[in-house]
Amino acid sequence: MPESDTIGIALKMHGVSKRYQGTLAVDRVDFEAYAGEVHVLMGENGAGKSTLMKILAGSFNDYIGSIVIGQKEVLLHSPAKARECGVGMIYQELSVARPISIAENLLVGRLPYRYGFWLDKKAMYRQSQQLLHKVGLDIDPWKTIGEISQHEAQLVEIARILGVNPCILVMDEPTSALSRREVQCLFARMRQLKNRGITILYISHHLPEVFEIADRITIMRDGRIVATKSIHEVTPPMLVQMMVGKTLEKPVVSPTRKIGEPVLKVKHLTRNGFFSNVSFHACKGEILGIAGLTGAGRTDIARSLCGLAPYDRGTVELEGQRLRRQSYSDAIKHGLMYLSEDRKIDGLFLRLSIKQNLISATLQRNTHCGLYTANHEAQITSDLIEKLGIVASSVSQEVSNLSGGNQQKVLLGKWIAADPRVLILDEPTRGVDVKARVTIHRVVRDLVEEGRTVLLISSDLPELVGLSDRVIVLHNGRLAGEMNKTQLSEESVLLAMNGEVV
Amino acid sequence: MIPAKKNHSAFVRTDLLDRVGIYLVGAVLVVIGDFVSDEFLTVTNLLSVLNAVALLGIVATGMAFVTYSGNMADLSMPSIMAFSGIICVSALPLGFTVALTAGILAGLLIGAMNGFIVGRFNANPILWTLAVTFFMEGFMRFAWSNNQVYPDIEPGTAGFKLIGLFRMSIGSVPLVVVVMVLLFIAGHFVIVHTRFGIESKLVGSSKPAARTTGIDVSRVILLDFLVAAFCASIAGIFLTSMNKLGVFYLGKGYDFKAVTAVVIGGMTLRGGRGTMPGVLGGVLVIGLLTNIMTFMGIGAFEQNIVTGGVFIAVVGLHQRQLCRRGKDYA
Ligand SMILES: Nc1ncnc2c1ncn2[C@@H]1O[C@H](COP(=O)(O)OP(=O)(O)OP(=O)(O)O)[C@@H](O)[C@H]1O
Ligand SMILES: [Mg+2]
Repeated sequence: MPESDTIGIALKMHGVSKRYQGTLAVDRVDFEAYAGEVHVLMGENGAGKSTLMKILAGSFNDYIGSIVIGQKEVLLHSPAKARECGVGMIYQELSVARPISIAENLLVGRLPYRYGFWLDKKAMYRQSQQLLHKVGLDIDPWKTIGEISQHEAQLVEIARILGVNPCILVMDEPTSALSRREVQCLFARMRQLKNRGITILYISHHLPEVFEIADRITIMRDGRIVATKSIHEVTPPMLVQMMVGKTLEKPVVSPTRKIGEPVLKVKHLTRNGFFSNVSFHACKGEILGIAGLTGAGRTDIARSLCGLAPYDRGTVELEGQRLRRQSYSDAIKHGLMYLSEDRKIDGLFLRLSIKQNLISATLQRNTHCGLYTANHEAQITSDLIEKLGIVASSVSQEVSNLSGGNQQKVLLGKWIAADPRVLILDEPTRGVDVKARVTIHRVVRDLVEEGRTVLLISSDLPELVGLSDRVIVLHNGRLAGEMNKTQLSEESVLLAMNGEVV
Repeated sequence: MIPAKKNHSAFVRTDLLDRVGIYLVGAVLVVIGDFVSDEFLTVTNLLSVLNAVALLGIVATGMAFVTYSGNMADLSMPSIMAFSGIICVSALPLGFTVALTAGILAGLLIGAMNGFIVGRFNANPILWTLAVTFFMEGFMRFAWSNNQVYPDIEPGTAGFKLIGLFRMSIGSVPLVVVVMVLLFIAGHFVIVHTRFGIESKLVGSSKPAARTTGIDVSRVILLDFLVAAFCASIAGIFLTSMNKLGVFYLGKGYDFKAVTAVVIGGMTLRGGRGTMPGVLGGVLVIGLLTNIMTFMGIGAFEQNIVTGGVFIAVVGLHQRQLCRRGKDYA
């Protein structure tokens, strides 16, 4: 337990503000962190957490206020300067370069040279493997980031930052793409770092995680700091209360819905090297959960069955009609749609506006003889913004300027606008705050109540178990079990996910 | 919680300054031109400016589609121009209409190949179209034994008609100018009001996101390159008509000038941004600039330096703007 009089203050921010065009994202913040503590930042989507941390990482040269690191007052006007002052940052959005090898990503800026000229490939290999071991990854450092999965990329990013030995380590939602085991591994690593006197600033929306790792918690709301508390002084409901400003309504457990005929039938679907012989069906008005560890093939199956990726054997039938292989537009025409796992890479048009994103999937329906009519746009956009509670300065704001959670809401909105019959949701609540999570769950329930079908892929077990009517479990690319509402519990799903028989 | 907006398509809106900026530059040039020469602000001269940029305008219209859909530039447009011209001249014995059709089809053939390779196999558009240019030059020199092809220009023949094409006018407005304006209007309409146009924007903004939105990315890119090839072959036929001959080097230089016009007109090389009126503005600005420099007695080489300089300046400025908005890593 850090005591303020025995252990030094590692970081002190005083009166720090940052204004974007139109929004005051961080408003006169005073903030302190001790050496050797894990300090968690929480707050609603758009509260200004990422912005505050980006200031620390030297992303802006126009912030106001003073920052003291160690004993020195510093001006963090460039990333290089921040690095020099010992700040390492893991961004909310991955910043590893995709077409480049893991080794190069890990050692960027300090590649080993022989005679100051030749790239020392052997040393590169050795050093990067050491770093990868620190995060418990065992992969070939010569692979490119594009070749490895998203959670592995996240771990590479963490390894990269650890390599520069920061004295203040900032992590912006580092676990949103990680499995439980990886999270545990990361936490163990964080505790080691903490004991070495490193300050860790950690942003998360995940309450259980926060209580597991935090020493102190700071809550932000509307760009200001609401409170800083020791973890022992607070309880989850208190935190929610402070973040949202009111207590959350308990999610109503909906009365058992009427579940209709099977709509989607998948038979013996096989993609060599990814998954094999997967058969299941989903019914009208049903939420079918798909559980599995990362790497179990959940996303691969989803992408294959909607036509974004190929498959080798098997059939996909939607309302009695066979869908063409590897033709996503065909699937969409029949009403089968897929919400991508990663909003940054292939989910959103980051450089386009909220409105353009929200209606991007409705083009097909609103085109007649090649001509597009725009009458529906205004209505749809305002409805969705209202329904999902998207916070932005205007509908024409660029999506890349939104906070992470609000981007996720736009992504969901885009597919709701497209009027799907069967919607596959791949990690729909990644990065959204507690309130938005409840909202999204309600929206998903509304979807099935209107007679649609939802396939839910989620690493968040309480979400999966709470929302699904039935769950199928994948293990190593094979179907490992199926549970209906009565058999469903977190324990049973967890067991099946790990390959134990249910 | 978000202020309501007027009721028009989200895909039409761009920043006002982006839209009129290039015309402000044009206005400044007109004032400068007026200072440089008394003859500048006359109907004859302004019409000659239009006439001089008409071919560039036609090429730029096509180029705009390639840039807009995120494929930077089609560098093979000059060789498409030359190829269409040669084929058109060679097909003249079969009649005027057949020759025109053959010329355009020849161009579309190359466009289809470009679009297919780039769209389907994700080839780098710059490298691929550069390679096509190289190949086509070799092919045309080989097939026509390095010769120029002359049409038969006896009055009454199809060749005579072809030669007259460039000098034809409707009222007092040259036919090329009319064609350019019509193509611009059509291009603007396609980009704003058709599904293909909007899908081009989405593809240009992010190919992976377009794919997961259910857009047939390969098809959209194929069409974009076809539009480019179509415009290039029309320009090529006019150019052949102007020169009264078909030859492999005919369209040289149009690729770079067209990209310059497109980019200074506000379509960034990253794709998904800009408008057709902006591109037209870019074409006009280049026309005015050239015209004024000619009045000032600046030679052709120096003019190239200026055009290149403008291109560098504009691209640099865009980049700086992006950096300042903090988008350099986005
Ligand atoms: N580049 C930008 N340009 C304009 N406004 C921005 C930009 N980045 C963020 N904002 C705005 O600043 C506010 C704070 O955003 P920030 O990303 O710090 O939120 P956050 O607390 O990290 O939220 P989340 O939990 O969703 O990640 C938001 O209202 C957001 O819309
Ligand atoms: Mg954030």
